[in-house]
Amino acid sequence: MAEIPVTQDEIMAVFPKVAETMADALGCDVEDIKPDVSLIEGLDAESIDFLDMVFRLERAFKIKIPRGKIIENARGDLTEAEFEQNGIVTERGLAYLREYLSEVPAERFKTPMKVADIPRLFTPTTFCKLVVRAQKEAPAA
Amino acid sequence: MTGHHFAAYSFVDRIVEFDPGQRARGSFAIPADIAAFPSALIAEAVGQLAAWAAMDAIAFRGRPVAALATETRFHGVAGPGDTLELAADLFACDDDAVAYNGSARIAGRTVIELVDCLGPMLPVADFDDPHVLRERLALLRDGGAKPGRFRGIAPLPFDVTDRVPGKSLSALLAVPAAAPFFDDHFPRRPVFPATLLLDTQIRLALDVARDVPSLRGATPHPVKMTHVKMRSFIVPSQRLALGVELTSESDGTLKAMLSATTGERTVASARLWLAADAANSASSDGPVAVSAR
Repeated sequence: MAEIPVTQDEIMAVFPKVAETMADALGCDVEDIKPDVSLIEGLDAESIDFLDMVFRLERAFKIKIPRGKIIENARGDLTEAEFEQNGIVTERGLAYLREYLSEVPAERFKTPMKVADIPRLFTPTTFCKLVVRAQKEAPAA
Repeated sequence: MTGHHFAAYSFVDRIVEFDPGQRARGSFAIPADIAAFPSALIAEAVGQLAAWAAMDAIAFRGRPVAALATETRFHGVAGPGDTLELAADLFACDDDAVAYNGSARIAGRTVIELVDCLGPMLPVADFDDPHVLRERLALLRDGGAKPGRFRGIAPLPFDVTDRVPGKSLSALLAVPAAAPFFDDHFPRRPVFPATLLLDTQIRLALDVARDVPSLRGATPHPVKMTHVKMRSFIVPSQRLALGVELTSESDGTLKAMLSATTGERTVASARLWLAADAANSASSDGPVAVSAR
């Protein structure tokens, strides 16, 4: 899995701005944005909110985050067929997902897991890592 | 297909500059014989121009439906007989979403600005016939469609269920089971337009604001709207609980938190800022033109 490593310090460096951006998108208090809260189950985020957050983070950090980037990153070097079959994440795919979303407690990974349910795992930390990786891949001009 | 397609809820009748996925310039002639053309419909017109540039860029595989508008600035109003000069500048466009800024002007004067709008793309064929849309775009770009087909929309009625004068209001909105605009928005799948909901919510907020003592009888008008977010489709016959919570800001404006819920679920939310001009005391159901705005 040739993913760019992200340290806890790097995550915490971007967290305040990510939290502020997410609070504005979700219409909640910034204090509600804890690093490990589930965005869907804990903060009632919906698909439009994810789109909103990605665009806001792009503007706030002057980075480019392609849509679907989280799952693409998680998939790493696996082909789509190796990662999922008929909308269900394969065992290998799940192993990649657990590693990529290492901040998410193990008990939150259901088996079988639908690809459509992967966003249920996302937390503010997931987005912090996305931001840090985007910064490393293409430093702001 | 009915006679309402491209008529009952279509607000671009000519496109003069077109760069798919990038920018578009166009116009809409508001028929002189309709009763009114609310500000929310001006925003709709800008969004529709952006939608044409977005749909064409992805070969009509998807269309933006439902929306998110970070900020809408109201500088003036439009009325029957006015011609809207529309501009849309896209800064992202792919099969997932379109993001754009836009504006509408009347005789060179900006009446509305849309900043950082976002439309998720959904399969166009679920909503409309892609071939018919392509033909329509060709017509809009080739001299334009015949103007005057929009016959106006009467303000949607609502039932006020609770009111604290000058502070808050709750109301029930029964989305009509049938209406001409559903045939246009959209022919294959009727969706209650977000901008009609916003128009209703603006009217409710103005209704609450009129009882704010500090206004001393002056008529409030919308200044800007932020955080507009549609969370799900609103369909014919749906019943919505609308809420307005008004607070006074330190700069003298009024801020209204707007919500639309069904059951426990918030389907739409927005924040609206209102201001009042002492010289502007005419009574009206809609925003009032103020020359200095």
